[in-house]
Amino acid sequence: MPDWLLVILRAIGLLITVFAILKWLGKRQLSELTLFEYIIGIVLGSIAAEITISPNQNMTNGLIGMAVWFIVPFIVILLSMKSHAIRNITQGKGTVFIKDGKVLEDNLKKEKYTADELLEKLRRKSLFNTADVEFAVLETDGSLSVLPKKDKQPITLSDLGVKQSTKEPQTVLMDGEILNEPLATAGRSVAWLETELDKLGVSIENVFLGQVDAMGQLTVDLYDDKLTVPSPQEKPLLLAEMKKCQADLELFALQTDNTEAKKMFEKNSKRLQSVIDKATSVLQN
Amino acid sequence: MTIGTQVKQCLSSIKSIEAGLSSLAIRTQDKETKAILEESAGTIGEIKHDMKARIKDLEREEDQYKGF
Repeated sequence: MPDWLLVILRAIGLLITVFAILKWLGKRQLSELTLFEYIIGIVLGSIAAEITISPNQNMTNGLIGMAVWFIVPFIVILLSMKSHAIRNITQGKGTVFIKDGKVLEDNLKKEKYTADELLEKLRRKSLFNTADVEFAVLETDGSLSVLPKKDKQPITLSDLGVKQSTKEPQTVLMDGEILNEPLATAGRSVAWLETELDKLGVSIENVFLGQVDAMGQLTVDLYDDKLTVPSPQEKPLLLAEMKKCQADLELFALQTDNTEAKKMFEKNSKRLQSVIDKATSVLQN
Repeated sequence: MTIGTQVKQCLSSIKSIEAGLSSLAIRTQDKETKAILEESAGTIGEIKHDMKARIKDLEREEDQYKGF
């Protein structure tokens, strides 16, 4: 067999082997590899390269070497999935850099980090002032996870006391075709979809994307971008009507001379107001 | 517009709100939202009841307000 043919055959064979081995070791991005996995990758690659281009080399030796470098890490990974202690050795532990708003200089030194590098990592998290940081950990992959102080954290709906739950919208129309499975998941029928499209005044062929949200409202995007489709108006309209009725009831309460009727109107206007308060979060788009 | 027709108008708005809320509640998949909507529709239903009673009183007091 000529040398060049041997190289081609070995290259193809090893390419498949290395690919299979790396797939087997797990699905991870390059940046998420631990030091251990990183070294395994390099060594396996070098062995493969070495056997590929030197035809004089004994193929078996190379394969044995690769097998060892594959089997041992594989066992270690299996063990580390079972045991926390082994995981600490192979993957390392995060190092706390900032605790209770104070920088832990000893830990910085241990990980060979300078103050400048710490500041740089914090800046990458948009934290320019160390005083804003409550807690920060250097993760095993070298990234810094930061917990800002409570008053520096972005506001969330629960901070505002708004209860809002969402469900994922279902895509029911794509490229002018009805997708039956998502439509069923959303609990709608084809007839319903056709009625909704009629209401919007568009034909199915003209729809590029159509989605149903958790409240059963349909939004569509058309091929023809010059056409504007009305956004769902039902909820805001309902809210506006409720507000109008509440105002009306107050007005009646003021106008009537009958004390009993006055009381009734006042009570009901208050009731309606409480309904509005409760339903606003749900009815706002 | 007399008070009678105004109150009747308000009643029909209330009815339409109740129907709107109920229909939203039926179509909503999320349980929490559904509960809020159903509860709201219930309260609106009570208001509707009170309004109907008031309209009956109005019609008895002022005969010309009778009918739609």
